[in-house]
Amino acid sequence: MVRAYKVKGEKRKKKGENYDKEEIEEQLEEEPKVSEKRAKMEHTAADTEAAERVVDLLAGIPVVATDQTSKPGVIFIIERASLEIAKIGKTYQLLNSDEHSNFLKKNGRNPSDYRPDIAHQAMLSILDSRVNKAGRLKALYVKTEKGVLFEVKPHVRIPRTFKRFAGIMLQLLQKLSITAVGKREKLLRVIKNPVTQYLPIDCRKIGFSHSSEKLVDIQDYVNGVNNDTNLVFVVGAMAHGKIDKDYVEDYLSVSDYPLSAAYCISMITNAVERKWKIL
Amino acid sequence: MAKTSKTESSSKKKKMKKSSKTGPKSKDMKLKPPKENPFEAIWSRRKFDILGKKRKGEQRRIGEARSSAIEKRKKTLLKEYEQSGKSSMFVDKRIGENDEGLGEFDKAIMRSQRERQMKLKKNKYSLSDEDEEDFDFGVSLGRDDFDEEVPFDEDEEDYARDDKSAILGQLNSHGSQNAQPGPVEAEENRKKSKKEVMEEIIQKSKFFKAQKAKDREENDELTEQLDKDFTSLVNSKALLSLTQPDKINALKALVNKNISVDNVKKDEVADAPRKGSIGKEKPDTYEMLVSEMAMDIRARPSNRTKTPEEIAQEEKERLELLEKERQNRMAAVDDESDEDGNASDDDSKLVRDPRTLSGDDLGDDLEEAPRNKLGWIGEILRRKESELESEDAASTGDSDSEEDDGEDEGSDDGEEEGSGNGDDEGSDEDEEEGKTQTIKDWEQSDDDLIDTEEEDDEEGSGDDAKKVMKIKDLKEVDVKGKEVGTVQTKKEKTTLEHPQSELPYTIEAPKTLEEFTSLIDNCSDDQIIEAIRRIRTFNAITVAAENKKKMQVFYGVLLQYFAVLANKKPLNFKLLNLLVKPLMEMSAATPYFAAICARQRLQRMRTQFCEDLKHTGKSSWPSLKTVFLLRLWSMIFPCSDFRHCVMTPAILLMCEYLMRCPIICGRDIAIASFLCSLLLSVTKQSQKFCPEAIVFLQTLLMAALDREQRFENLQLNNLMEIKELGPLLCIRSSNVEMGSLDFLELMDLPEDSQYFDSDNYRASILVTVLETLQGFVNVYKDLISFPEIFMPISKLLCKLSRENHIPGALREKIKDVSQLIDTKAQEHHMLRQPLKMRKKKPVPIRMLNPKFEENYVKGRDYDPDRERAEKKKLKKRIKEEAKGAARELRKDKDFLAKAKEREKALLAEEKAEKYGKALAFLQEQEHAFKSGQLGKGRKRRR
Repeated sequence: MVRAYKVKGEKRKKKGENYDKEEIEEQLEEEPKVSEKRAKMEHTAADTEAAERVVDLLAGIPVVATDQTSKPGVIFIIERASLEIAKIGKTYQLLNSDEHSNFLKKNGRNPSDYRPDIAHQAMLSILDSRVNKAGRLKALYVKTEKGVLFEVKPHVRIPRTFKRFAGIMLQLLQKLSITAVGKREKLLRVIKNPVTQYLPIDCRKIGFSHSSEKLVDIQDYVNGVNNDTNLVFVVGAMAHGKIDKDYVEDYLSVSDYPLSAAYCISMITNAVERKWKIL
Repeated sequence: MAKTSKTESSSKKKKMKKSSKTGPKSKDMKLKPPKENPFEAIWSRRKFDILGKKRKGEQRRIGEARSSAIEKRKKTLLKEYEQSGKSSMFVDKRIGENDEGLGEFDKAIMRSQRERQMKLKKNKYSLSDEDEEDFDFGVSLGRDDFDEEVPFDEDEEDYARDDKSAILGQLNSHGSQNAQPGPVEAEENRKKSKKEVMEEIIQKSKFFKAQKAKDREENDELTEQLDKDFTSLVNSKALLSLTQPDKINALKALVNKNISVDNVKKDEVADAPRKGSIGKEKPDTYEMLVSEMAMDIRARPSNRTKTPEEIAQEEKERLELLEKERQNRMAAVDDESDEDGNASDDDSKLVRDPRTLSGDDLGDDLEEAPRNKLGWIGEILRRKESELESEDAASTGDSDSEEDDGEDEGSDDGEEEGSGNGDDEGSDEDEEEGKTQTIKDWEQSDDDLIDTEEEDDEEGSGDDAKKVMKIKDLKEVDVKGKEVGTVQTKKEKTTLEHPQSELPYTIEAPKTLEEFTSLIDNCSDDQIIEAIRRIRTFNAITVAAENKKKMQVFYGVLLQYFAVLANKKPLNFKLLNLLVKPLMEMSAATPYFAAICARQRLQRMRTQFCEDLKHTGKSSWPSLKTVFLLRLWSMIFPCSDFRHCVMTPAILLMCEYLMRCPIICGRDIAIASFLCSLLLSVTKQSQKFCPEAIVFLQTLLMAALDREQRFENLQLNNLMEIKELGPLLCIRSSNVEMGSLDFLELMDLPEDSQYFDSDNYRASILVTVLETLQGFVNVYKDLISFPEIFMPISKLLCKLSRENHIPGALREKIKDVSQLIDTKAQEHHMLRQPLKMRKKKPVPIRMLNPKFEENYVKGRDYDPDRERAEKKKLKKRIKEEAKGAARELRKDKDFLAKAKEREKALLAEEKAEKYGKALAFLQEQEHAFKSGQLGKGRKRRR
């Protein structure tokens, strides 16, 4: 049977993203308040400005640049994260080689491929880095082995224990978004592929693979990159294999040894922190 | 009839079989649709494939579902639509025809059953004929046959059960009331055959037997356990204490027998009823014992533990008793003077004995405590002295002694010992010079004893220089010797003038100082202490409430006595030391009163001090009494409190002395340096900063410089003016001896004594100053402003070491101290960071916690408000239902519209056909007409 009525108005698909609709509305609501506050704060702001001017005049005291928005940031993409849920018995669980090896074998999967802990560690090392604390981490995207892409906001406090992490991933992959406690802001949400549509225009996409021919010192490499470009690092979080994505411009190998994802990320973040002098 | 019915039934069965053959065909039809619709083969796609998840509508295909929906409508809606224009309809009332799920076979069964029922109903009211009875019988037979068949081939039954149950359900639903119980039920009732019943009974009896055996075994085990317990009880002491010994022996004998005959007994227990006569004889003794023990006293009450009040009361009573005895003895002894000596000896013994015998701490502590408590004065004194000693000693010995000092300061053990030394020394000082010769004799004899006493000291102080040790030993020996001497002299004294020196056992607390002094007139030091002890025991606060007031008064008196004693010219330092102990204990008992006393005295001191300052001629430095009192309070009250009602003003007063008193003569310097060391000891724990002490030490060091160098340092000039400090400590001559300084000795000297102008004195004072300074450096090393405080002093020290006549040892010391200051200051400088303008740590981005559930299940509402969640759920369902209904209605409408369309199309087609036909006819007519009646319609003519 055919559809009875033609749907009037625009098709839903063409409306574009409206994930943050509520947020936008909230912001709109907040704005007048902010302006009021601004009015109140104005004279104090003037005072501080005056003080700053005085500081400027003083010789030998470096003035800290105030606007951080123009600074280039860093974006991480974790590829091939093995985050998959399954219904085991009556409950849904994040598949994990330790606990569900029998189930996986029964279903004809290789248990050693199911390693959500790698993704967990990688996410933790990214979000714990000084780059993130300084607000220079622009975004973190995770793409699962199944092809589900989700965005992690840099200011999420990812649970540190694996069990809780598994809980949050379970909910994310079913509900498609996770909100903050006491807020409607979405901290994690599943987004549409491909990931390239979310990357800024002037960015350098760097992939990491032990199999790459190009073995470099990451510090030198990062220092060599132009200061204004954003950096996109693509790291795989799988147990075996390698990433090969066509959007990656440059594949690097940073060590003679095969490294864990978390350590590789910490190397990258260290290099970036040293380049940008984040202490 | 029966035959006919049988034939009927058989024919029906055949029919059934036939129909059953045809029945499955319809099922097959359902399973295998005749034609595979390619659209129905399309499966619904899943967006997020989840392993292990079985969805409800997984098997359904959308195309198929749609076509099935259309089919369904055709059956229902279309029928209705078709019926809608009609006034009547055909109703199919055949049995089972309306039910979709029944096969042909089932329908047939139902029909036959109904038939039979109808027959039965008919039979109910019809009169019975023989034939009919026959029929009935036949029916019952048939039923029996049916029943008997079942158990033999159970497979069939299982197979048929579903059908049967379905039939039964059908019957019930039809409301046909079967009078007879169902065949299955009957089967169940009948199932328990005789054989089965018997089996059951046998099983039960077996079970009970087993139960009995088990019980018996348990019983045996319990008795065994009891026996064991009993033997252990007999062997333990608990029973022994409760019962008489002879019984215990009997019991033990019994137990031994038990053990030996244990095996036999086991058997007995096992078959007790059989061997009852033998068993009865044996436990006779045991039973007797048990009955006797039951009559015994279970436990004797012990004495109640006494409360402190009672203990105090007892002590008081004991003292009273002793006093009475003494009085009696005094009355009796008057006759015979010979026994006096014995009596006095006894007395002394009695005085001693309670100390050792009574469980009170009072007696035991008396010997140790004064040493313990008066630690710091002694320590300070001793330090001065040891410094001097170390100066004398070789350079290696010097450093050792320093170490020793440091350790003494730190560890309590060392302190104790040190204080002991100090005490002894203080008491000895006067006679020291004279007696050294005689005392040396004692050295040999007492060596062993001293060694044992010194063990702790050695452990505490580590590697002492041998020289220092020897000196110490010497002093210890001195003390011993003197003690022995005093004991001897005391004995003599007591024999001579015993009625005066003998103390009454019960002493009322004296109300005034005069009373107290009269009481202790002509008493030796030990006796005074003993008297105080007795007063305190007799008027213990715990005994009576009014004693508290008495004791407070007495405390005041004692404090006054202490002050008076300190002011006396030939100073009885030993007694002062001994007095400290009771004073401390009493102030612990009445802390509030003690604090008030101390504050009053402090206030008086302060006013006195202010008065003294106004008279410029008079020396305003505190007297020995004041110093001693300050020292006493520093021991009584906690020095480390941040704010203390006594210690804070005391410290302030000391600082004020240091700041405001002008230094005129050498004696002032001694007092001042003593005050400094007192301040050091007070602030050691709390690390309170006393700028006055440090500044004063600095000025003292400055006083050691020559005049020319002094004025380079302008910072302290104003202070110098106040102090009017000449180069008092400037060492002029090169041959200097640094002896030990004794504070008390110095205080005894007249103000204008030559000694204060000697270089020896200056050097010794400098050493003490340096020692105190080192102490302050160690105390304040953690202050942030350490370099700023001590660096000028370090510079000063450097200058001082460059002075001409400074002796080598002193120079070493100066260097050590300045080096210490430098290294500490360096450390502080290392840690310092440059001053930052608007120092602000970069603020990390604010992190947010994600909200998630422990075991998330999709679709469940995690709203904490249950009611709202429920409401939401219901609303959702309503919406869903409404949508579903709307969808269905829409589809119905579409379907109907299509049907109507089809009808219309049919009608239109018909109409068109008719129209075409008519038109064709007309055209033909016209054609015929025009063509001159040629063609078909030739015959018809107009």
